[in-house]
Amino acid sequence: MFHQTGIKTAVILALLAGLAAYAALGGYFARELVIEIATLAILAISLDMVAGYGGMVSLCHGSIFGLGAYGFAVAATLLGLPPGLALVAGIALGALFGGAVGAVTSRARGIFFIMATLAFGQMVYVLIFDARALGGDDGLPGVPRLDLSALGVDLQSSLQFALFAIACLGLVYALAAFVLRSGFGRTLCGIHANEARMRALGVPVWQYKANAFALSGAMAGFAGALAAQHTMFVSPEMMVWTVSGEALVIVILGGMGTLVGPAVGAALLILLRHEIASLTNHWHMVIGIVLIVTVLAGGRGLYGQLEHMVQARRERAKAHA
Amino acid sequence: MLADPSTWIVQGLNGLQLSMLLFLLSVGLTVIFGLLHFVNLAHGALYALGAYAGVSAVWMLGSYWAAFVLAPAAVALAGTVLYLGLIRRMRRSGPMNQVLVTFGLIFVFLDIFRIVWGDIALGIDAPAFLSGPVEVLGVAYPAYRLFIIALGAAVMAGLGLVLSRTQIGAMIRAGVDNDRMAACLGLNVERIFFVVFCVGCALAGLAGVVAAPVFSVTPDMGTQILIPTLIVVVIGGLGSLKGAVAGSLIVGFTQTFGAVLAPQLAAVAVYALLAGILIFRPAGLFPARG
Amino acid sequence: MSKLKGLAAGALALAALSTASAAEAETRVGLLLPYAGVYAALGEEIDAGFQLALEEAGMTEEFAIVREDTEVKPPVGLAKARKLVLEDEVDVIVGLVSSGVLGAVRDFVDGAQVPLIVANAGNDDATGSRCSKYITRVSFSNGQVNRPMGQWMYDQGIRKVYTLAPDYAAGRQMVGAFAEAFRQAGGEIVGEDFTPFRKTQDFGPYLTKAKAAGPDAIFVFYAGGEAISFVKQYDSFGIKADIPLYGSGFLTSPLYVNAEGPAAEGVVTALHYVPTIDTPENRAFVEAFRARTDRAPSEYAVQGYDAGRALIEAVKSGADSREALASALAKVTYTGPRGPVKIDPATNNIVQNIYVYETIKGDGGLTQKIVGTVEAVADAPNGCKL
Repeated sequence: MFHQTGIKTAVILALLAGLAAYAALGGYFARELVIEIATLAILAISLDMVAGYGGMVSLCHGSIFGLGAYGFAVAATLLGLPPGLALVAGIALGALFGGAVGAVTSRARGIFFIMATLAFGQMVYVLIFDARALGGDDGLPGVPRLDLSALGVDLQSSLQFALFAIACLGLVYALAAFVLRSGFGRTLCGIHANEARMRALGVPVWQYKANAFALSGAMAGFAGALAAQHTMFVSPEMMVWTVSGEALVIVILGGMGTLVGPAVGAALLILLRHEIASLTNHWHMVIGIVLIVTVLAGGRGLYGQLEHMVQARRERAKAHA
Repeated sequence: MLADPSTWIVQGLNGLQLSMLLFLLSVGLTVIFGLLHFVNLAHGALYALGAYAGVSAVWMLGSYWAAFVLAPAAVALAGTVLYLGLIRRMRRSGPMNQVLVTFGLIFVFLDIFRIVWGDIALGIDAPAFLSGPVEVLGVAYPAYRLFIIALGAAVMAGLGLVLSRTQIGAMIRAGVDNDRMAACLGLNVERIFFVVFCVGCALAGLAGVVAAPVFSVTPDMGTQILIPTLIVVVIGGLGSLKGAVAGSLIVGFTQTFGAVLAPQLAAVAVYALLAGILIFRPAGLFPARG
Repeated sequence: MSKLKGLAAGALALAALSTASAAEAETRVGLLLPYAGVYAALGEEIDAGFQLALEEAGMTEEFAIVREDTEVKPPVGLAKARKLVLEDEVDVIVGLVSSGVLGAVRDFVDGAQVPLIVANAGNDDATGSRCSKYITRVSFSNGQVNRPMGQWMYDQGIRKVYTLAPDYAAGRQMVGAFAEAFRQAGGEIVGEDFTPFRKTQDFGPYLTKAKAAGPDAIFVFYAGGEAISFVKQYDSFGIKADIPLYGSGFLTSPLYVNAEGPAAEGVVTALHYVPTIDTPENRAFVEAFRARTDRAPSEYAVQGYDAGRALIEAVKSGADSREALASALAKVTYTGPRGPVKIDPATNNIVQNIYVYETIKGDGGLTQKIVGTVEAVADAPNGCKL
């Protein structure tokens, strides 16, 4: 069950403000990092919605991310649509694919669900990789950015793009929180807790799962469209299964089923990787060890652990009172 | 060309060879899952470790057969360390956490391979008397590939016998069926778990050293083979020997004949197969439990 | 884009200012290579060659080097290129192993007007339809390395060829250039297959199919781990005795040939460099590289070396800004380890000899015997307007 608690509000606002400050005060590369953090945080939040609250651990979110990017890039470059419409195309593509995967896999659970999503994701990857009309493995260059000059925002500037990405992250978080607090979100959590009972109550389980996946897909697609505008280039590399794995790692590092955790995890992973990569070429190993230690330490993740401690203290206080 | 029967015989053998290699890899993974309920994504890394240990053994001792014996032993040893240090305490912590810890292990192994054996792809030669082609069923076929087929079949038969006819086999089956009940009946479940885990690792190592003369030995070879192996396990149904056999044959032959008949679709074929099976049989073809 | 250009110009002015104030004029170089991932070995090899060029010229002090890892991922490569230009304010970027990363970086360096010396990535378009006056390639183009083999194999009496390559852009370009030249010479391509890239380990099914087509020879492009698997499996099927194996020289690169072992003996391939080229320049280079790494230099090492050499020549000619470096690089010409090289003014791709070589057994393992040289191979402009 999701509650927008005080600590959630405080941490997400602090994180957004911290990112904005880092972008404003840091150099050029700091802004690149902030944009990467914001896009990956959106992807991780979309994953946390289905994995943390719906119990559907997906290994195809990287592909949805890539589909969103390709949807945007193809619409904007090959079809010549204005970037605003292309953005809609990217989001729609993510939602469609997500909804389809959610609908077909609604009966599988556990490792079978993970593998089924992996299979669908890999199919998309292979098809795009082989699609010469879309540039094949070379990818598509020349992807434009949204034109927000009417609002006085110039997305060609790295600082303004970084601030724009942070704003997007805030909006997506608010949307996800809104959905999870709604009746739909509560039913989703109910299915996660006891699917048989929800079924017995007459809830059309597969429909809920498909809708949740579609919504999550829309968000992941949006993250992809954002990433495509950031790099102004898309390639199949964006949708390899390890990208899905990385999204999962981010969710775990921050704290699954907390919604704030994924955003914290994205900042943690990107900054950590950046710092370690400047010291050694063997940063994979360090990330691997951090991941193992995180899980061994209880698996709550950085933010999850914080939330857990705050709640435990509050309950103790209540017991004393 | 496609009417020529000898081509079909060779392609059939190719499919069988790939299937046997996949079987060696997936049987350990699936039995470990069935018994310990443990999802080990690092199984592919253990396969790579087997290949690298084999390379080192050949370099030091100059004999493929020494490597053939030592590499599985080395991987079983690594498995022991992993089991005692990590796996045992992860057993009760849910599939999600297991997936993540072993995902982390993949990263760790990847860099260990790079540090110890370097970034450049390595290779070893098949033993001299198995290196050339031999005449079989009227066609010339690499002797070493026939050796892989024979080895896979032997392991398959051996495991089948052990599981169905011996006391330890009965214990393992009881454990897969219901580990708590088996423990209540006085079986030392912990020890069975440990043994099965090590044997599974040794088989992954065996697959690695057997594959080394055919493929190249690279740090990411384990990651590459992981997904086909998982597909085998999931198609077959987790935890069953029958499932591993069926899954390996299905995937091996789909890949081989997909490559021949529809090269454009070969890369998608296996994923489409997996997706299709999971839609209609969400627990695989031969799940170990009802 | 105009804003970006403005930014770049600003950075340029800043860089010019800081160089002027420094006691000694130094050129800032961004080395953009894969140091992790599947191509890490190539990154290290290119890096070693580049270093060697600076040391040999005694100019290590004149260059300040910033290294960035592309991780062989196009978006990462692009982010790192941006960082090198906008934060580290480098005068020139050197590197790029994968064509995918080059494709991602191309528009940015062209727009920001930063010279880029490509030290591997062979995508034909980068010095063809998508060429840029800021992009100079000292390695090779996919077509350049393979086209000469078309005529050469025809001249050996080969008429029917079957081709195999991994299914990605480089694979298709490498084999495509050969096939086109071979057909033009009068030969016939009796069949072709493209194997799923980095997902194919068992080439058995393809080899069986190729053999059944009954060609005079098989021509392939594979590199790295795939090359090792392919050459060994080709040998184990016993096809080599009936149908000889030809290919792009990366197939039997010195970096991998020892892992291939006896299976590689007798394979004939073409490449822009082999360590057995018998010239004083190459003998000196091989000796220097051996002293450094204890093994023979590969084509990747020489590409790194020539990237450094070209840069040194350009700096020596007095180029001290990005703009001046870009135009000086296009005029570079010298005789190096791979023979006489120059930059083609029409495409900014290198003009060089292509060596046809056979892998044979030597004293200390496998070595390369040059069986043919096609001199001064240059690409057609293919839509490039500089």
